[in-house]
Amino acid sequence: MADRDSPISKAEGQLFDPIAMEVFSNRLLSITEDMGNRLVRASFSPNIKERKDCSVAMFDGKGRLIAQAAHIPMHLGSLSGGVETVLGDYGVDNVREGDVFICNDAYLAGGTHAPDITIVTPIFWEGRCRFFAANIGHHSDVGGTYPGSVSPTARTVFEEGIRIPLVRIVREGELDTGLLTLLAQNSREPADRVADLKVQIAANERGAQLMLELVRQLGIDAVEQSIEDILAYTARRLRNRIAALKDGTGSHVCHLDDDGFGGDPVAIRATLTVEGENLTVDFDGSGPQCRGSYNMPKSAMLASVYYAVKTMLDPELMANEGMFASITMRAPEGTITNPTFPAAVGMRSNTAQRVAASVIGAFAHFLPRERVMAASNDAMPAMVFSGRSRRRPGTYVYVETIGGGAGGRAGHDGADGTHVHITNSSNLPAEALENEYPLVVDEYSLVTDSGGAGQWRGGMGIARQIRALDDDTFCYASSEGTIVPADGVFGGGKGAVAHIIRDRGTPGEHEIPANQPRLVLAPGQSVRIETPGGGGFGDPQARDVAAIAADLRQGRVTPAAVRAAYGEAKAAEAERLSA
Amino acid sequence: MYRIGFDVGGTFTDFTMLDEGRGSVHYFKVPSTPHDPSEAIGAGLSALIADHDIDPALVRHLGHGTTVATNMVIERKGALTGLITTRGFRDTLEIGRQTRPHLYDYSIGRPTPLVPRDLRLEVDERTLSDGTVEVPLDEEQVAEAARKLGEAGVGAVVICFLHSYRRPDHERRAGEIVRAILPDAYVSLSSNVLPEFREYERMSTTVLNAYMGPRMGTYLERLLGRVGDLGITGELDTVHSNGGLMSVPTVREIPVRTCVSGPAAGVIGAAEIGRVANFPNLVTFDVGGTSTDVSVIVGGKPLFASDRLVADYPVKTPMIDIHVIGAGGGSIAAIDDAGALKVGPRSAGAAPGPVAYGRGGTEPTITDANIVLGRLDPVALLEGRLPVDAAAARAVIEERIARPLGLSVEEAAYGILRIANANMSRAIRSVSTERGHDIRDFALFAYGGAGPLHACDLAQDCGIRTVLVPQEPGTLCARGILLSDINMDFVRSELSLAGEASWRRVCAVLGEMRDEATAWLVREGVAEEDRQLRIMVDARYDGQNFEVSVPLDEVREDGLRDMVERFRRQHVQEYGYDVSDRPVEIVNCRIQAIGRVARVPVSAPVPVHGLDAVKGRRPVYFGKDAGWVETSIYRRGQLPIGRTFAGPAIIEEMSSTLIVQPGQTVTVDPVGNLIVSIFE
Repeated sequence: MADRDSPISKAEGQLFDPIAMEVFSNRLLSITEDMGNRLVRASFSPNIKERKDCSVAMFDGKGRLIAQAAHIPMHLGSLSGGVETVLGDYGVDNVREGDVFICNDAYLAGGTHAPDITIVTPIFWEGRCRFFAANIGHHSDVGGTYPGSVSPTARTVFEEGIRIPLVRIVREGELDTGLLTLLAQNSREPADRVADLKVQIAANERGAQLMLELVRQLGIDAVEQSIEDILAYTARRLRNRIAALKDGTGSHVCHLDDDGFGGDPVAIRATLTVEGENLTVDFDGSGPQCRGSYNMPKSAMLASVYYAVKTMLDPELMANEGMFASITMRAPEGTITNPTFPAAVGMRSNTAQRVAASVIGAFAHFLPRERVMAASNDAMPAMVFSGRSRRRPGTYVYVETIGGGAGGRAGHDGADGTHVHITNSSNLPAEALENEYPLVVDEYSLVTDSGGAGQWRGGMGIARQIRALDDDTFCYASSEGTIVPADGVFGGGKGAVAHIIRDRGTPGEHEIPANQPRLVLAPGQSVRIETPGGGGFGDPQARDVAAIAADLRQGRVTPAAVRAAYGEAKAAEAERLSA
Repeated sequence: MYRIGFDVGGTFTDFTMLDEGRGSVHYFKVPSTPHDPSEAIGAGLSALIADHDIDPALVRHLGHGTTVATNMVIERKGALTGLITTRGFRDTLEIGRQTRPHLYDYSIGRPTPLVPRDLRLEVDERTLSDGTVEVPLDEEQVAEAARKLGEAGVGAVVICFLHSYRRPDHERRAGEIVRAILPDAYVSLSSNVLPEFREYERMSTTVLNAYMGPRMGTYLERLLGRVGDLGITGELDTVHSNGGLMSVPTVREIPVRTCVSGPAAGVIGAAEIGRVANFPNLVTFDVGGTSTDVSVIVGGKPLFASDRLVADYPVKTPMIDIHVIGAGGGSIAAIDDAGALKVGPRSAGAAPGPVAYGRGGTEPTITDANIVLGRLDPVALLEGRLPVDAAAARAVIEERIARPLGLSVEEAAYGILRIANANMSRAIRSVSTERGHDIRDFALFAYGGAGPLHACDLAQDCGIRTVLVPQEPGTLCARGILLSDINMDFVRSELSLAGEASWRRVCAVLGEMRDEATAWLVREGVAEEDRQLRIMVDARYDGQNFEVSVPLDEVREDGLRDMVERFRRQHVQEYGYDVSDRPVEIVNCRIQAIGRVARVPVSAPVPVHGLDAVKGRRPVYFGKDAGWVETSIYRRGQLPIGRTFAGPAIIEEMSSTLIVQPGQTVTVDPVGNLIVSIFE
């Protein structure tokens, strides 16, 4: 992607036909939206259908991304990685009409972790491969040691499910059913795999049909010209955003609590260099490759950086190859952001959160104060419960990721209780959860005093407490940020760290470490997770006393915390106002 | 006898009066009065009665579409509302689904909850998913909470406990306690407003309901007063979000069901007009000043949705699936810093409005482009009531768009339209593919002030072969009200795997609901022969998280296999496959109670022979190839039935303008609709 030179059309910034480009880009996005709608509608597993953990994209014959439907930022990496591998492993001349490719492996096929399976379909016009339709679905299990195929304590990719290099799943129109069965039977839910993979193949086929229809309507020359225009336009737009930054270099360091096996925090250091219209992002100085699975394949690193750049510079920027033209990225090999085979990569999302945060943090050196954001919870807290199902034979597995506080920004407190950065998946309602599993949600609330103090305070973390109704209920609760809190900016305070607590409100209440793999609960026993808060923005002394009073009245902060963070005088006035 | 439908919009309040004796229809419009919408209604009704010299006692029915509920939320003018909920769950209203509204843009936040955190109070009580009570209701805590909310001065109280859809006892008891302590407060129980599982959506819907309740009551009082003063004694009903009518007492109790009142009536009208004109499959397209509404009608029936956002708050009630696109006549065209021409999402709206309207607008809009290209009358609109400054529109497009891009003014204006149409086409395609339909099998039903202006271009873009434009497309919502039945949806969650024992329970629940629904029809005064019950079960494959609605003919204890079979067929229809060896889970029981309203056949307007419908000609720009074409302007009201003619043509009427391109053909059908064939 970034390190391939992107042949952008003529003099950048001069579009061939801005009206034709805008009309074409709507048509193109209609195609990826149609593919995405089909993928979501027709899929079976709740993870793709309900949580929409999938993405679709269209590439040109040179492998340049021309459109991505907005779903999951992280997927940008493996979509591009899959197409690049087709071009690299096979070459455009060896791809035949009617072929469909499949892959997932981080080291062999540009994947980011095994559950994300990519399907790539070449599209032919007049006997030549002109485009590629591609999509990704997150499959909830692809085998390996652990249900869900992801665990922080996996040491190599061999523990993380079946490895799929780039192979043909359809050969000149014929589905390789043997291969499909092989893949499906290596999962704990073979029926779901078969159903969803077929839907993924069909979604690309639909994209191919629509793309060809567009070519028939507009002519291949006009289509190719408009593609050049779209890429040139996007490149120009991002260059303008970068040019508006002051030149120079700035770094920011974030830390993972540990590498999955305890020990010291692991640094993620992003160094940004702005030179005119170009931006370089360098992760030199980041920690070594992890013993556990927090390692982040390069394609995931690229996707996280693009997410952060888009968020900080231009949220409405179209996702296409034009974005890549002005950004160069470096990550030394053998580090957490560019691991070497066969390091495990399953938990790369946690690292991706910190990578996004480190880039967002480094932008503080370049952006005016009003566009800077304090650190958010930047974690991927999760709870997994498993036990005997009351509803059907066998065991249930319930997995949920939990949001936290967002960072404060000029003019706004950070959002309370929300997902940030590379994830935005919704919760399972307590009533849905209790109908499905022998579990009870005792509390789902915002954590008092968890937002970092500041002129604009950080957002509050979430407390989620779940109690077992049956014997032998296994629980695995994890959160980053139990040791390293979210930083404030411009004098803002740090957010509260995460806590994982057993049996709260009983005599046996105690806090437990973040990565204790398997707890066994008896009926009535519970696990509570309190996720990190966001960092504050600006000097706490500058906070409007009425805002402190409102937080006090609403129970978001305690009087003691207010006194400690904002001083006796302000606290006294706020308390008077809130009464 | 007469029936009158009226729809209160942001700018105009539209009226349609049906003379049942003659079968004739009259249309009328007055400016809306947002400070008190009932004022414009009173004025309009009084003018209609006077103009047509009608005895008010002969007006037997009034149907009304209203935005009062939605506006209250948009403007944050509802009642101060308190919430009493299960211990541990007061932040559910704030955390929602823990997602952020925009993936990349942190300046777009979730809306501030309508109940502030200090008015969200928790009490000890807990019911489990199977309906067993784990913690009994602490009545003293409820009383304490009520007193606290009373001191805070709340006008409305919401009670929402976990699993109350399964066992409403605790909510009912808490409601009694609160009403005793706060006799003047408007109290809403979540188990009344929405007895469905998924606590956040239920809580949010109930909060909106209570927030709207007190002022909706005041508004209805005022409206009834004005109607009474005019001497009208007929029933007053309100269209609710699923396109049916509800009586005043029902609206008072569940105002949240009127969130998309007017637009729903428009879709009902479209479906009915399409059915009569033999176009059962329609995409409806209603373009206004700032937004465009799109919906899909399949086999003569609108598609329904169960949830949407109202001013960013989730509301879950049965409603017509109407998709809103942020593009309308006021959308602004501008060149951005990287050289692209963008249309929208910024809008000049009604104020300052398009440059050509001379009300302070300074940026070119879609409407300005339509005026420059001769598509809209460059002299005046609304039958001369709205003067237009075409020179100003031309100047602004030249200065801001044409010159920087090196284009002629008409090329620039035409480019704005092409881009606007491309944006709308994309939205229309997305709406139909999200619901699994191929748009090319549909006709485009264009209404609203600006729908017909863009419809023929848009149809061509989307590969749609036919455009249908009803009479007076600008007042279709008011007309749709006269075509609506009285109806009400009843729902109860009943989660269980489909089996003999659970089916008996489902039958019992459906039986109770049937009694409830029938009682409601009786209360609404529906005669027995006009009553109808539609029975549905929402089901899904075990392990899935989304439901499919399965219609049933009747409730039968031996009907389990029939239901499962229908479910599988429905799943194939909606998703393309079934999973034959997977158990089926029942989720909700639904009954829709319908009181059919007699539809008087509307006779077509009398063709006026010997009178030329052509009122003039003006040049219209149809793109680079065709260029400026001298185009005939027709008066819609004087086009006789059966007349067919080729484009280019402009067809004008009071509330709207239709543009037919060269090469397209338009026909006046036997009931007065215009039917445009897009492709030869």
